[in-house]
Amino acid sequence: MVKVFIRKIYAQVYGFLYYAGELSILFGQTVRCLLSTPLHPYRFLWQARRVGLGSVFIASLVGLSVGMIIALQMAYMMVKLSAEIYIPNVIAVSIARELGPVLTALIVAGRIGAGITAEIGTMVVTEQIDALRAFAVDPIRYLVAPRFLALVIMLPVLTLFAVIVGIFGGFLICFFKLSISAYMYWEMVKESLVIKDIVTGLTKTVFFGMIIAIVGCYEGLHVKGGADGVGASTTLAVVRSFILIILFDCLFTFVFYFLFNA
Amino acid sequence: MFEITNLYKTFDNLRVLNGLTLNIRDGETKVIIGRSGVGKSVLLKHIVGVIKPDSGSIKLDGVELTELSNKDYDQVRKNIGLVFQGGALFDSLNVAENVGFFLDEFTKLSGSQKQERVAHCLSLVKLKNAEEMMPAQLSGGMRKRVSLARALCMEPKIILYDEPTTGLDPVTADAINNLIIELRDRLKVTSVVVTHDMTAAYKVADSIAMIYHGQVIADGTPEDIRHSRHPVVKQFINGEATGPIADDESMKFGHVK
Ligand SMILES: Nc1ncnc2c1ncn2[C@@H]1O[C@H](COP(=O)(O)OP(=O)(O)OP(=O)(O)O)[C@@H](O)[C@H]1O
Ligand SMILES: [Mg+2]
Repeated sequence: MVKVFIRKIYAQVYGFLYYAGELSILFGQTVRCLLSTPLHPYRFLWQARRVGLGSVFIASLVGLSVGMIIALQMAYMMVKLSAEIYIPNVIAVSIARELGPVLTALIVAGRIGAGITAEIGTMVVTEQIDALRAFAVDPIRYLVAPRFLALVIMLPVLTLFAVIVGIFGGFLICFFKLSISAYMYWEMVKESLVIKDIVTGLTKTVFFGMIIAIVGCYEGLHVKGGADGVGASTTLAVVRSFILIILFDCLFTFVFYFLFNA
Repeated sequence: MFEITNLYKTFDNLRVLNGLTLNIRDGETKVIIGRSGVGKSVLLKHIVGVIKPDSGSIKLDGVELTELSNKDYDQVRKNIGLVFQGGALFDSLNVAENVGFFLDEFTKLSGSQKQERVAHCLSLVKLKNAEEMMPAQLSGGMRKRVSLARALCMEPKIILYDEPTTGLDPVTADAINNLIIELRDRLKVTSVVVTHDMTAAYKVADSIAMIYHGQVIADGTPEDIRHSRHPVVKQFINGEATGPIADDESMKFGHVK
């Protein structure tokens, strides 16, 4: 009984490490490819457009509602303590450091990561990847590298956007509901946000972008079978990038906590 | 010249190539026949290095291909055009971009030069006014011909055709057969043609090889094959339902169990 349990855990851990290893290999190949051969600018811009323009609306929508929700939830408690004036601080810090980066990354993983897997997976089952290889074109250079770069560059931009809209959402509630003046709100936001918050938030998203791109491409390139295989891999890609994003976020937060507060 | 020796390949539990040995001389057209599922497409993919063999050797002009790094193999691949059985067109690109794919990737031709070359390749396969169409809009036969045009556009020294005329009407099919012959005669292209159409096989072939049980069981001129005494070859080329092939239970799925 215990043995079976231990063996199961062992298999899980082994599976995870193996997967992490495979992702690192693809990551290494992609980075090497980006460094060694110039990227086709058109292909990169096309992908960047898809990531950025395609997700900006939903990212802002989520940012706005999160900003408003935090403001309302905080108001509930802070009013009791007559500390409404600190609501802008809480909104600014929590959105800039945590909620903005993580929520935007999850949205993009669901929207773009899944799309990448489905697209590349379909190319695998219809032999298009074989055709690329047969034409002496490296699928990593042709498919993975532009998507990787697009996500790494566009995800921070999207996040920044979502953060700004989120803080604005908080402002709407504070201004109309809690009668905090506009001047006061922005002063408090400015005071509470140090450059470090923005930088740590955006640094995280660079890594999140890498996770989404590498997991999406890896799952796509490893599709087995036909349409059902593409579907299964797409689901896997979303689940796995969610897990990795959250794990990585914890890790990152710990590291930063000990680096700057020790 | 290709020298393929003792090639073995197993997928999961399925042995597809079982010590296959085959030579292809420069400038000849080699037709490969065999039952469906015997591993003809797999053999072609081994030649371009899309699939790696479990063991065995593939030599091109004395160079061992199976040991090449991907980068070195790419140099070889630039001289080999493969026409995929299912077309394998890039479905995010239109017909002209598909056909000109190799030019876009590896040459610095101007737009009009490219256009000219693409139009020429499409006319070779009897396709007109299809440049702007997307692969999803094409019929099966058109797709196959675009795939052929895409391979021709790279002006390869070696062309591997995976069932180039299957699914085409007899008139177009004959035009493609003539094209294969012409490419050999005019440009000295080495060709490997996988086909089930015996009339076409006799027409285009300099030599015909038959694969059975993952091995080449007969290899010779069309005349040799036509008069072969081998019972399996005889049954196959005459297209008879009864004979040693049908009797052989392990051949049920066309490969060695
Ligand atoms: N990627 C793969 N994974 C697993 N099995 C494969 C793969 N590719 C081919 N096979 C198997 O190898 C065998 C040979 O396939 P192949 O496509 O070469 O047949 P073929 O001779 O070209 O047949 P046809 O004339 O119908 O095209 C088949 O039984 C197929 O199931
Ligand atoms: Mg085939």
